[in-house]
Amino acid sequence: MKLKQIFTLMVFVLSTFLSFSLSADNSKVPFGIRHYDIGSAQNFTLSDIDGEKFELNSSKGNWVFLHFWASWCGPCRAEMPAIQQLADKMKGEKFQIIMVNTAEDEDTVFEFLGSINVELNSLLDVDGQVTEVWKPRGLPTSFFINPKGKVKYQAIGGREWGSPIYINFIKNLTTVPLTK
Amino acid sequence: MFKIIILMLVVSNIQAAQSVIVKTSEMEVGFTPRTANQMGSFYEARGFPKAVRNVLKQQCFITVGIRNISNKKIWLDMSNWKFTAGGKPIKREHRDYWKKRWQNMGVPLSKQSTFRWTLIPETLDYLPGEREGGNILLPFSDKPIGITATFATGDNKQGDKIVITTDKLFCAKDSE
Repeated sequence: MKLKQIFTLMVFVLSTFLSFSLSADNSKVPFGIRHYDIGSAQNFTLSDIDGEKFELNSSKGNWVFLHFWASWCGPCRAEMPAIQQLADKMKGEKFQIIMVNTAEDEDTVFEFLGSINVELNSLLDVDGQVTEVWKPRGLPTSFFINPKGKVKYQAIGGREWGSPIYINFIKNLTTVPLTK
Repeated sequence: MFKIIILMLVVSNIQAAQSVIVKTSEMEVGFTPRTANQMGSFYEARGFPKAVRNVLKQQCFITVGIRNISNKKIWLDMSNWKFTAGGKPIKREHRDYWKKRWQNMGVPLSKQSTFRWTLIPETLDYLPGEREGGNILLPFSDKPIGITATFATGDNKQGDKIVITTDKLFCAKDSE
């Protein structure tokens, strides 16, 4: 009887340990994504192409994919369908895609998004100053912000976001409990 | 005879604008000269004021692409790059110089921001497999452009340095 109790305790301790070591912050990152622990996400408020104001802090509670782009940047254009796939595949999850266009006017962004057959909206950083604060490594760059509002990862360059390797990584983020 | 000379001039112009790729076992660095019209059109399409475009058209634009093909971190630091024209040192202006210049000209913030994004970062670390780049601007010259770029390696920049050199570049000119 005593032996059974010890065994049960060991299983409990081991499973607790495993659950922590498989937590989101320790998960293996696919190629193109970097660990980027810089602390709290810098809040901002910007308007989207419909004129609706949006504050980043209102997204707390979800994992956020914060994406900086410009229509003149080739890899940004090429990446848009992949972001649409990501949006489609993550529908209903605790995951939010926030796109920020860097320093272009509303007409340019509206025309561009309308021409590439995606249903994505974008915030407009018209004078580029939010982008300056966030300092992406280049365009496009995406940041992953955890539900507590901490920046955890950065992805540089266009990625096949709809492919299983990235979808599985992101789904893992949204389902595994946070450690910090 | 006249036609042959013209043809030779055109060929020599095409050769002058050729890209150069320098490859080592650890990295690939590509240099592509851009003509004044190419860059002028790019910035015109982005709504840049004519005064800015005129300044930019006088520069020698070279698009640089850097890829880390090693299994260690490689560090770009533009302060470790040296430039020459016809063997004599020339200065690449830091992005802060351009920022100040645009501010003095009253260039809108959005255009200043777009311009900065087209430049190569002053510093950047490249993880294995990463590729990133941007433009460098040099004073225009008809003479061959030499570049010596030194990169630190390793997580703490303590690894062996990588030195990339080329003297086969020319500023690109539009055909007359």
